[in-house]
Amino acid sequence: MGNRKIDRRKFLATGGVAAVGAGVLALSGCGGTPKPTEKEAPKPGDPTPGTKETIRIVSSLPRTGSARGQTNTIVNGIQMAVEEYMADANSKFVIDYKDWDDATAASGSWDGPTEKANAQKAVADPDVMAYIGPYNSNAAKISMPELNEAGLVQVSPAVTWPGLTKKIKGVAPDEPEKYQPFKPKRVHFCRVCTTDDLQGPLAADFAAEELKVKKVYILNDKELYGEGLAKLFRQRAEELKMEIVGDEGIDTAAVEYGGLMTKIKGTNPDLVYFGGTTQSKGGQIAKDLVKSGLMCPMLAPDGCYEQAFIDSAGAANLNNRTYVTIVGLDPSQLTGKGAEFVKKYKEKFKTDPEAFALYGYECAKVVLAAIIKAGKKDREEIRKAVLATKSFTDGAVGGAEGWSFDRNGDTTLRQVTVSRVEGGKFIPKKTITK
Amino acid sequence: MFESIAAALGPEIYQYLLAGLVTGLLYALIALGYTMVYGIIELINFAHGDLFMLGAFFSLQLAIWVGAAGAKGQATGEFAVLAVAIMLVAAPVFCAALNVTVDRVVYKPLRNAPKLAPLVSAIGVSFIFMNIGVFWMGTYDLNFPELIPPTNLTPGYRVEFTYQHLMVIVVTLPVMVALTLFVRYTALGKAMRATAQNPTAAQLMGINVDRVIAATFAIGGALAGVAAVVYGLYVNSAGYQMGFQTGLFAFTAAVLGGIGNIPGAVLGGILIGLIEKLGTGYVGDQWRQPLIFAILIVILIFRPNGILGARTREKV
Amino acid sequence: MSLRGAAGYWMVAGFVLLAALPFLQGRYIATYGTQLIPVLCFAILALGLNVVVGYTGLLHLGIAAFFGIGAYVTAILTTSGFPFASSFLVAAVAAMLVAAAVGVATTAPTLRLRGDYLALVTMGFGIITVSVIRNLDALTDGTKGLTPVSPNFFPGFDDPVFEKSRPGWKDSWRGYPRLYYLCLAVLAGVVIFLRNLERSRLGRAWVAMREDELAASCMGLNPAKLKLSAIALGAGLAGLAGALFAISQDGTTEPRAYGFERSMLVICCIILGGLGNRPGVLLGVVLLVGYDQIVTSMLDNWLQEQKVNPEGKEYLKVSGWRLFIFGLALILMMRFRPEGMLPAARQKRELHPERDEAAGERAAKAEAEAKDKPVDRGKKNE
Repeated sequence: MGNRKIDRRKFLATGGVAAVGAGVLALSGCGGTPKPTEKEAPKPGDPTPGTKETIRIVSSLPRTGSARGQTNTIVNGIQMAVEEYMADANSKFVIDYKDWDDATAASGSWDGPTEKANAQKAVADPDVMAYIGPYNSNAAKISMPELNEAGLVQVSPAVTWPGLTKKIKGVAPDEPEKYQPFKPKRVHFCRVCTTDDLQGPLAADFAAEELKVKKVYILNDKELYGEGLAKLFRQRAEELKMEIVGDEGIDTAAVEYGGLMTKIKGTNPDLVYFGGTTQSKGGQIAKDLVKSGLMCPMLAPDGCYEQAFIDSAGAANLNNRTYVTIVGLDPSQLTGKGAEFVKKYKEKFKTDPEAFALYGYECAKVVLAAIIKAGKKDREEIRKAVLATKSFTDGAVGGAEGWSFDRNGDTTLRQVTVSRVEGGKFIPKKTITK
Repeated sequence: MFESIAAALGPEIYQYLLAGLVTGLLYALIALGYTMVYGIIELINFAHGDLFMLGAFFSLQLAIWVGAAGAKGQATGEFAVLAVAIMLVAAPVFCAALNVTVDRVVYKPLRNAPKLAPLVSAIGVSFIFMNIGVFWMGTYDLNFPELIPPTNLTPGYRVEFTYQHLMVIVVTLPVMVALTLFVRYTALGKAMRATAQNPTAAQLMGINVDRVIAATFAIGGALAGVAAVVYGLYVNSAGYQMGFQTGLFAFTAAVLGGIGNIPGAVLGGILIGLIEKLGTGYVGDQWRQPLIFAILIVILIFRPNGILGARTREKV
Repeated sequence: MSLRGAAGYWMVAGFVLLAALPFLQGRYIATYGTQLIPVLCFAILALGLNVVVGYTGLLHLGIAAFFGIGAYVTAILTTSGFPFASSFLVAAVAAMLVAAAVGVATTAPTLRLRGDYLALVTMGFGIITVSVIRNLDALTDGTKGLTPVSPNFFPGFDDPVFEKSRPGWKDSWRGYPRLYYLCLAVLAGVVIFLRNLERSRLGRAWVAMREDELAASCMGLNPAKLKLSAIALGAGLAGLAGALFAISQDGTTEPRAYGFERSMLVICCIILGGLGNRPGVLLGVVLLVGYDQIVTSMLDNWLQEQKVNPEGKEYLKVSGWRLFIFGLALILMMRFRPEGMLPAARQKRELHPERDEAAGERAAKAEAEAKDKPVDRGKKNE
């Protein structure tokens, strides 16, 4: 501590050198030159490593914070698809998959500037041919215009806000055009999961037909996803002449919901619908429902369709009374290629794949199939090939007939499966196709 | 007249009051840790909530080791009493040791530094604790085994009073009474009060201020440990973010009551608990947080030193 | 060269480097430039907070609320969902005025609170603001956020369409590099304004009050007025930063972006950099925000390329250690350099009155001799 003056000078000098160094790094493009392909570990069965062209696929998902568990399974799925492609001796390109984070430590979840930077980084790197992600609908609103302008194809495994791709009742009047600034209009965004306008209403149908619900209490987590679903559920429930005995947002920062349950119990509903996810306290809601002595079932959307939901609520609290809707089929219902994927996933990661692992795999598969079809390293060709996906059966969820992208970039796979928790597992009960 | 008000509020009012009281007692237990440390060294210990979170993780780990819970935190139905007993002893020791260590390593060298320095360090410790929590138990909320069942003890009455409610009251009230007696009558307690009033004078009177501060951190940590066990058994979940939210409310409780004031912290905790549950019941769950802070601000406008806080004189 | 001069020199050099950035060659220059736009907004925000915390010594833990108010006022005045359709200039001025007014209105009743109570009240205010933004769907569209924020620049004039003369450049003033230069210019303007303000009557009065409120009021200064003027200025700058942020994000993103975490980050920036000192605050922003948003992702991508972590273990990733590193940096900083990296000259002088800035070496030597009787740091507080 003695000689402060000198210390400070030294500090300034080093600081200055560091700043200049950083500047020079930035000037030189800082990793701008892509790593030569030789750096890629040659895969077995790769006859002439180093002679193939590299195509980079990036994903931008919240890898820090509470959504990490679900994004881990997405990344696992993507990695499996990429490995399958690389293991094929006939494959024309070397795929370099990069797993980018769009969250920051400070916010603990996705962050606007970071998502935007990821999109721009992808655009600036001429090797990037596809952008998988993001995970959150609001993040998509930020990255979509950037990628649209550059014509880089974007495939999301999890974004369900309808307004991103189509005009329906309930979305903003200038959606989705405001995400497509490029003139003439071109679609660059597509998603392998279906949108909320399917899942919400079909859940209401199920509640009315199978559960014979007359009075429903609706909760939502005040997030874009959960609130949107709860609203759509409510619209359909009103059409079906259900009585809405309560509809409110919860405080997801709370640790327990004893007070809320007392309130719900006073209205004596036949069903509690929760529009939200595991991270927005789905498990705690289910647990507190049981603890307060409410005997009615609970229905939740696919944000809760993961083992972590059952673990966090405690299986005993969910068994035989908790229903979860998912888009598409349950992994256990899959046949053919889907069943194969489930088996391989189990071998590799020692757990059952969750719904999001399927979507991650599906995204990567669609992109890789388009790369094969396009046959060259060209963004426009690959974008067209992805959007032209028809009767796609190479992935895990397509089944025998496969699915296609419609002209908006939405999947034609309009199926919802309702599962019930039994013995600590999701057991599919009914699949509704629309 | 009382009956007509109760009728207007509905039959749930009693349940809200009970839930508010129980939650409030838990907040109070954590608030005591804030208030004691603040009383002695004027440090808002931002890491206290995260210490509480680590205590809950530690208790959960103990339950798994003992065999009362499976790897996912589901109750196995065995060793429940043993596990609760071990938790109630080990978790306070763990939290106390951790708190004292942090004080020794981080805050002690900053005793004479400007006031912001330990405050910022406490924020740093809070970040580190949270990161440790993520490495330890992951990012999801975990199930904390129902070692005390939520069985209703008062069937047929308007209020459901369960074993879990009973457990919270049976554990927290004696701890608070013991703490009050301890601070009032034991030599160490008197030394604490003396140090809080004037550290220099206390030192001149032969009190080892460093030891008193360490003891304060130990007691505050132990209270957080007890709170962690009871909280885990009451809400049956644990997650790495629970510390922030609960700590925030507990800290608010401490300030509401008058920071540095032990009965004030208890009163503040109970008030916050009641506001929280009544707010959920009659205003809406999404307005719970703004309601708590709005009431806090209003109270502070009229009583700038908290409800039970003493007027402080300006030192020149 | 005096230390003050050195810090100023580096700041000017930094501004020149930043101004030159868009004309450098490199594939990712435009990406970095765009990434810097929010950093520049945070720098303005931090300077605003520095007025409150650094100049007047009020610990304000809810500055991000003003940032959010600025962003939402801008969005409400410009998005198509509302009938205003204002230009950016009007919206930015309104954002500043509304934020300043809210700052004054919420602080005035709580002025008589002591330091830590005031800190809690400001924190509570921040949390209330975010909850209101989140829950007041009719005005703020809840978590959906208001988009797109794409107003004209001048009232009554159509925007010019620029040429996209380099890769990554946009044709609108709201895109890179025009917005980048706008933010940089606003930041430079704020820095110069604050530099002059520090030397003005008001600036000196703030410092006098920070050092000793009682003595200052005995000298005829009005502490309440001084505090309110500091809050108004700090909140106004935060509102301006919010307006620019909303433009750069083309919307208000999520209410969470204006929450307690943001306030904490900004507080950490100014304390780490050097409370009360403009170059220090800017350095703190560059280091912390840069580390959080740019360096970790770069390091993680590098690690991924090295294939050291095939199973994706969290503790083998830099991002897994983010909070840990963050916390450790804060603790070490407070332990070894609590005055910040570039402390305010006044604070140093107060700590070491025997040291004359003009005779640096001689003073340093004298201090080395006086090493046996270290100066009590606690004095700074009193």
